[in-house]
Amino acid sequence: MISISCGLLGVFMMLRKMSMTGDAISHAVLPGIVIGFLISGSQRGLEVIIGAGILGILATLMIDWLRKRARVQLDASIGITFTFLFAIGIILINLLAYKVDLDQECVLYGEIAYLPIDLWITGGGTSLGPRIMYLALLNLILVGIFIFLFFKELTVTSFDENFSMVIGIPAGIINLSLMSMVSYTTVSSFEAVGAILVVALLVVPPATAFLWTKKLDQLIKITIGIGIGAAFFGYYLAYYFDSSIAGMVVSVAGIGFLASALFKSKLISGRFGTSTKQEPFEKMI
Amino acid sequence: MINHVESPILEIHDLTVSYDQSPVLWNVDLSLPSGKLIGILGPNGAGKSTLIKAIMGLVAPSGGYVKLFDKTLEEVRSRISYVPQRESVDWNFPASVLDVVMMGTYGKLGLFKRPGKKEREIAMECLEKVGMQGFAKRQISELSGGQQQRVFIGRSLAQNADLYLMDEPFAGVDMATESAIFELLQRMTSEGKTVVVVHHDIYSAVNYFDWFIMLNLHLIASGPKDAVMTEDLLRKTYGGKLNLLTKVSELIRQKEFNPLKN
Amino acid sequence: MSDFVYFFTFQDSSIAFVVMGIILLGVGSAYVGTYSFLDKKALLGDAISHAVLPGICLGFILAGTKNPIYIVSGAFFSGALATFLSSWLRKNTRLSEDAIIASILSIFFGFGIVLLTVIQKSGNPEMAGLNQFIFGNAIAILEEDLWIYGGLAVFIILTLTAFQKEFSLLVFNAEYGSAIGYPMGLIRLVFNVLMILSVIIGIQAIGVVLMAALLITPGAAARFWTDKLSYLVILAGVFSAVSGVLGTYISFVLPQMPTGPWVVVFLSLVALISFLFAPKRGVISRYISRRSYLKRTHQDHLLKALYRAGEKDQTNLSIEEIYETYPFQKKESNQSIKYLIKEGLITQNQSLITLTSKGKSESKRIVRLHRLWELYLNEYMNIAPDHVHDSAEKLEHILTPELEQLLESRLNYPKLDPHQETIPRDNDEL
Repeated sequence: MISISCGLLGVFMMLRKMSMTGDAISHAVLPGIVIGFLISGSQRGLEVIIGAGILGILATLMIDWLRKRARVQLDASIGITFTFLFAIGIILINLLAYKVDLDQECVLYGEIAYLPIDLWITGGGTSLGPRIMYLALLNLILVGIFIFLFFKELTVTSFDENFSMVIGIPAGIINLSLMSMVSYTTVSSFEAVGAILVVALLVVPPATAFLWTKKLDQLIKITIGIGIGAAFFGYYLAYYFDSSIAGMVVSVAGIGFLASALFKSKLISGRFGTSTKQEPFEKMI
Repeated sequence: MINHVESPILEIHDLTVSYDQSPVLWNVDLSLPSGKLIGILGPNGAGKSTLIKAIMGLVAPSGGYVKLFDKTLEEVRSRISYVPQRESVDWNFPASVLDVVMMGTYGKLGLFKRPGKKEREIAMECLEKVGMQGFAKRQISELSGGQQQRVFIGRSLAQNADLYLMDEPFAGVDMATESAIFELLQRMTSEGKTVVVVHHDIYSAVNYFDWFIMLNLHLIASGPKDAVMTEDLLRKTYGGKLNLLTKVSELIRQKEFNPLKN
Repeated sequence: MSDFVYFFTFQDSSIAFVVMGIILLGVGSAYVGTYSFLDKKALLGDAISHAVLPGICLGFILAGTKNPIYIVSGAFFSGALATFLSSWLRKNTRLSEDAIIASILSIFFGFGIVLLTVIQKSGNPEMAGLNQFIFGNAIAILEEDLWIYGGLAVFIILTLTAFQKEFSLLVFNAEYGSAIGYPMGLIRLVFNVLMILSVIIGIQAIGVVLMAALLITPGAAARFWTDKLSYLVILAGVFSAVSGVLGTYISFVLPQMPTGPWVVVFLSLVALISFLFAPKRGVISRYISRRSYLKRTHQDHLLKALYRAGEKDQTNLSIEEIYETYPFQKKESNQSIKYLIKEGLITQNQSLITLTSKGKSESKRIVRLHRLWELYLNEYMNIAPDHVHDSAEKLEHILTPELEQLLESRLNYPKLDPHQETIPRDNDEL
């Protein structure tokens, strides 16, 4: 379920060329999570999600401020913002260690902190399980509704922002809401899968799907398929090899991605003789 | 040589626009008649695109204002259509020709509604007008430059506007597409629409347009072809030698703020 | 307080080592990162820092211990692989750059996590320190490690300094470099190697996630203070060193705090200060110069008002009249009057303000600029006489004497402006 939510949002992030921003937001929400913990007293509060949502918006605003008012270039704005916020998050965790039942590893890769037995239990069914499932289900429903309602707005603003503004669509608000949904999804999922996996699911399935198709509806479907596939295979491989679920799912997705890239590019260049991308003359890295 | 018009469709008053810290358009004053095919000419960097963007509200002016149909932009958005430059978009985007043209109907649809049969029909009609109906399902990444341009114009037709502003629609297209587009624009004006086009080439411009706006950082002329296509005015437009103005612009750019803004 | 003294007098040699280590690490990363920042590929460093994880784990698995040579080589290998894959993907697919970087980043990191759990399962006691690679712990830098990592850092710094010319060509205009015969491919390769090395040594102090800060933030901050590349790089290094030391200090005083985040916090603070206060480019500096500009304009307007009064044969203005001319600006008017008196441009007798001869000259200059500009707009740009005033009103304050001369000669030393008012010159009688 989480992979579906991430995949849906990730498609639009990729189309807007904001994949790295998604990565940044998933790191930046850490302080919000910590504060939410602190206030609610447990991992399971609504406060955590609200805290993260606020941080997500804060991060987006900070990046924006740096870029527009302070006139710092975009990639640096993203880098400075998320590292700063993440650092604050880590400091808060350490500062409030005795009050907050959080662990920096836990945030990063979810269940890896609960070695070794809890590994497969947390992913699936016991006492913790059903709660996570409900959270994920809620997240999926909300993300689904968001994408469904605003599909055309998201598409136009991703394709041609100027045109969308001209016909009266509030591009800035759409952008902000997309970022909020990403923060919400990140935080809703971090307990189960950690920040790394969320980012990977945001970025890798859409990228892989983009290698296979040029049609938007197919893109979405393939992304969902890949996400689910990676989740299943990754889970069972993790069980088999007795290692981190999150890491395995990402690795599976990764292998799928690299294999697709290899397959698709050789196939294309083999068939037509020249690659479909424009080639600069020099070797540009 | 600036002709002013009674009840103009577009009125620009003392418009100064800065781009990236320095002024690109100085005190532009003009009015445009409706139902004509109007060309905006000028050398590179003259401010032609900036003028269109300022009219469309994509760039905020440092001074002056724009009136459309004697109202503000917000009031009449649905009557105006914009065709941006082709490079402003990544054509690798996963969309079909029909998808892009349907985007033109989004403005009238409103926030939560989904495009339906009516929108699809409108889009197909517009595709026919630009001669691309056979390409409806084709992915835009597979199109040639001329075809991309036609799709963009098709999209703007789908808005069913009264005033069309197009930024270099003839740039980099093949001859056949150019004539086809021109014929389309003529048909549109004969139906009463007004079309304003940023154009890059004087020679073809003479044959295409009824009315000309000549820009070179400031307005040099605005009027019907016979009044404006004189050697003297052309020299003023393309002949350069605006080094005073450019020097002042430089001076302004070097300041860390724009003194022309309030 | 005693902690402070103890720390900073480096009585404890292990502290001295740590501080030295942090400084070297930080400066090396700042150097490399600044070039990357100028190349507008700042986030590539973030990707590399995540990508080295599997290599580190692999090295550890093969060596069985935290042997630096194995670890560095492993990290280097996986970093290089990641860099290679990035450029390969860029050339052979239509994925955008950010998608490629983000994918490589997460895939490699995810795989690294898998290896990390394998290691943790194996129960090898040595592995305790491996976590440090993800979160960083500068305090734990051991003396032997310092020689290797410090040496690498010095190597990085020296290489970048020695070949500044080549690397700046790389980030500014690589095509030009090839055109004039530099081996840009080789230079790019060397740069990537340096980047990977600095990431490897940096993440030990600061951890994977925050490494990007060590690379990006110093350069971004330094950029606001200078435009010269050589100063830029050095300043970035200084920022990094200072933040590193401060961060280490906090970690020393509060032992449960990891060093990395504090270094980043200090770096970000330095960056924020730079963004706000740097002369010329800082937000506040721009605000201040705008304010002082507005003050200047008000003073100029006062002088003009006095001059225009003079044109109507009124040799002075009362303060009330000035207040009336500029309503709602009483405070600014008072300030301007004080300033102008100080500069010797006006005199005040009870409530009457008069121009001095210096003031007459200056006011003539401003009015002249105003009217010349109006004439220029009107004659050369066909702008209607009633539209030229606003522009002239704003520009009269910034036109330089050189531009004034140009205007005069272009307009042929005119006598009247578009409103039929005289254009005043110094040899007129007022």
